[in-house]
Amino acid sequence: MRLTFDDGTLLLEDAPDSVPYAEWDDRVDEYRAQAYRYHDLRQWATPSSRDQQTLAQATMAGDSVEDDARAYSDLTLSPAVAIEPRGYQQAALKAWIEHDRRGSVVLPTGSGKTFLAIQAIADAGVSTLVVVPTIDLLNQWHATLTNAFGDQPPDDVGVLGGGSHTITDVTVTTYDSAYRYINEYGDQFGLLVVDEVHHLPAPTYRQIPEMTIAPYRLGLTATYERADNQHEALDELLGPVVYEEDVDELTGEYLSDYETIHLEVELTADERERYDEEYQLYRDYVDAHDFDIWKERGYQEFLKRSSYDSQGRRALIAKQRAEEIARTAEKKLDTLDNLLKRHYDDRTIIFTANNDFAYGISQEFVIPCITHQTATEERTDLLDRFRTGEYSMLVTSQVLDEGIDVPAANVGIILSGSASKRQYAQRLGRILRPTEDRKPARLYEIIATNTKETYVSQHRRRGVRTDADS
Amino acid sequence: MLTADLARSRTRNGSIKPLFIDPAKPQYRETAQELIDIFEDHLGEPKGNLEETIDQLTIADTDYKIVQGLAKLLTDECEFETVAATDPQEIRQALFAKANESYPIVRQPTLGDDTQRLEVYSAVADQLGISLKECYRGMYADLEDNMLLVRFGDLRVDEYAGDSSSSTTRLTGDSEETYAEDTISVDWLLTRYNLALAQAVLYDATQMRIQVWDHFNTVFSYVKLFGLMHRIYPIDESGERVESTDVAAGYEAILDGPASLFSKSRKYGIRMANFLPALPLCDRWEMEAEILDGERRSTNSGSLTFELDHTDGLSSHYGDQGKFDSDLERTLSQKWERATTDWELRREDDVLDLGVEVMIPDFAVEHPDGRRAILEIVGFWTPEYLEEKLAKIEAADLDHLLIAVSDRLECSATDVEKVSDQVLWFKSGIHVYDVVDLADKHAIQTSVERSHD
Repeated sequence: MRLTFDDGTLLLEDAPDSVPYAEWDDRVDEYRAQAYRYHDLRQWATPSSRDQQTLAQATMAGDSVEDDARAYSDLTLSPAVAIEPRGYQQAALKAWIEHDRRGSVVLPTGSGKTFLAIQAIADAGVSTLVVVPTIDLLNQWHATLTNAFGDQPPDDVGVLGGGSHTITDVTVTTYDSAYRYINEYGDQFGLLVVDEVHHLPAPTYRQIPEMTIAPYRLGLTATYERADNQHEALDELLGPVVYEEDVDELTGEYLSDYETIHLEVELTADERERYDEEYQLYRDYVDAHDFDIWKERGYQEFLKRSSYDSQGRRALIAKQRAEEIARTAEKKLDTLDNLLKRHYDDRTIIFTANNDFAYGISQEFVIPCITHQTATEERTDLLDRFRTGEYSMLVTSQVLDEGIDVPAANVGIILSGSASKRQYAQRLGRILRPTEDRKPARLYEIIATNTKETYVSQHRRRGVRTDADS
Repeated sequence: MLTADLARSRTRNGSIKPLFIDPAKPQYRETAQELIDIFEDHLGEPKGNLEETIDQLTIADTDYKIVQGLAKLLTDECEFETVAATDPQEIRQALFAKANESYPIVRQPTLGDDTQRLEVYSAVADQLGISLKECYRGMYADLEDNMLLVRFGDLRVDEYAGDSSSSTTRLTGDSEETYAEDTISVDWLLTRYNLALAQAVLYDATQMRIQVWDHFNTVFSYVKLFGLMHRIYPIDESGERVESTDVAAGYEAILDGPASLFSKSRKYGIRMANFLPALPLCDRWEMEAEILDGERRSTNSGSLTFELDHTDGLSSHYGDQGKFDSDLERTLSQKWERATTDWELRREDDVLDLGVEVMIPDFAVEHPDGRRAILEIVGFWTPEYLEEKLAKIEAADLDHLLIAVSDRLECSATDVEKVSDQVLWFKSGIHVYDVVDLADKHAIQTSVERSHD
């Protein structure tokens, strides 16, 4: 029997009819199996002495198995990490290794899942593909893996997605890119690491583990269960949950005191005029149609109507324009100017809600800038320089999302943002990580007065308080 | 092609149909012309400006999906380039390093203008040997919005520059030059748009069934090109399956991919979308695809039927293959008529299913006594291609298949490791008697003596 990797599946040439996990493919007159069966097929074809041999296996053992499917290599890596693994990380790693290096680990956000993955990669000692949900996490993982393994892999850490397409022995990719390319590269990795693994059971993404031959698999998440019970599919594709750490035992550890200061700026006369005009246009339309736009459903109705009613379309554009005026109000820059005078000795991160504004500030104040457009390598480099203290300031649009490890800063300045409660809380979280000298963090929020932003800001703070209470 | 968000279709009673537009309608023709003008006007301009101008068209227009869709197809015909005096990342790094020594870089009303900022930029400009303006503009010249439109269709912006590494690469507004006739027209755009709408429906396809009655060679070479797998059935004029290829008027093929064997997969939808433009190359064709309904990420979705055929008015921008081959074939036919041999040369379009691909021989060589061989002419090839092909022929037990291979390429018989004696090498043209010799050696006796009209 000859095993070959064929476009995301395993072609089993000259296989006996007793071959398990396979379907007869009448298109090519050979047996074919899903790629994730690679490990099982190898085991079936080469039974070890302690296994009870069935007649079929005994027959097979006589024949040689030609393995042309495996295209991944062995690696010797030792992670350069200064931190001692925490107890639960060691326990999780041990549990995973004991489960034949298959299965998921459930750990709360911020508990060092990446760190665990690095240990697992070093332990497995094979080419590894790390799959993550967003471009931001892709960047983050790239930075962390680069730091951990340095020059050890023969090539740099590869990136597939976000405009990059380099495949190396340790490669990071997004779910979307992995789904698109896994049929091409599914033979090149022996370990598959899936971050936020609860997203994986979606029918498209499920093909990522299906189309790879990797015998070792590690899933990471803080919330394993899915409402639709689809997480059960993970057992077969990735392995069972091998370790779970309770949320309660970890929270609280990183919270530190912080101070929030709200600053309001006026729109300029010209901005005010344009704002009122656009906002009125939008309001009139919404009022005329009685949409309750502060509720999700009312807003959806409005959006739907704007897709076929040209006045509605104009109203939607008016809303966007008004928001843009408030968001990028000129006087916000004056306030920022003042804050930078006060805090130039601190470590400051400035948040904006749009790229143009971030780049504008970057050019105006000559501050390093990170947006989703920043190439992975440059981003890694900028964050690194910020982390080491070489750069003391950073301006960024909404890229520092879910689960991302941003180097500590003690001053945060929010120039504009969306109403999302969660996002706001997470942004706070980023800044509030303790700095080395335990200096209290300070967060500024600069909003345009008498605009919808004022409302959003209040709404937002309520949201955070509610979250904290619960 | 269109992005999924620009797709427009309607679902009704389990079937889905793209919302085609009528290319004759003045409103669409106007929009198309307007867009083409906008793209031409923005040659040498930043991409961001181009996109903003297009967005302006859609402010009170509920047809914005059409406008954006047309614009997407035009953007596919464009090239954008970073134009900067020095690598922008290098400029940035130098600026941030310099700035870090000079913080806070803030406005200093007491000192007049923002001298501090100016100092940073000037110092870096001097350090890199570029002008202040080049330094400021170059800092983010590599952002997508700041890249310049350098080519639109056949229109290209002229570059004044020595070598490409030179820092004087510059674009000037009046240096645009038309090199070739403008091929992007209103008709081109609107026709391509309808095809793109149909392709977009196929992004969620799990399986495609096609029926074709001509151009088999072209169709199946595109099937192979886009990595689709097939099951093939001969059909008659009305599309009913028939027993053998001898009585086939056309072919039906079920197309999907390797993993379709295990479960319905959307994975090959994009390949089917890519394949679709091959169908309008046929005079008569039908297509029926199974489309998964519902959210891409949801776990329960039903399926819809999507049907198209040659009456839908689609047209293809793909090349019809085999121009070279057909010249050769015509010459061979003419030569054959002048030659004296009992063997007859007949046009043949049996589709031989070799599993991973199909082979469509060009001719059958038949003797009145019932002996028969088939002949395929291979024009362009690589050693790997030929070896693979020979291996497949061997595996398929096609002993009566003769292959005429052109020797006029760089590669020669010696580059091919395994040469079968079924292969006939030729230089500029195929000689009738060489084929006859081979036919004598390899022809098989067909069960029934053939009588042709």
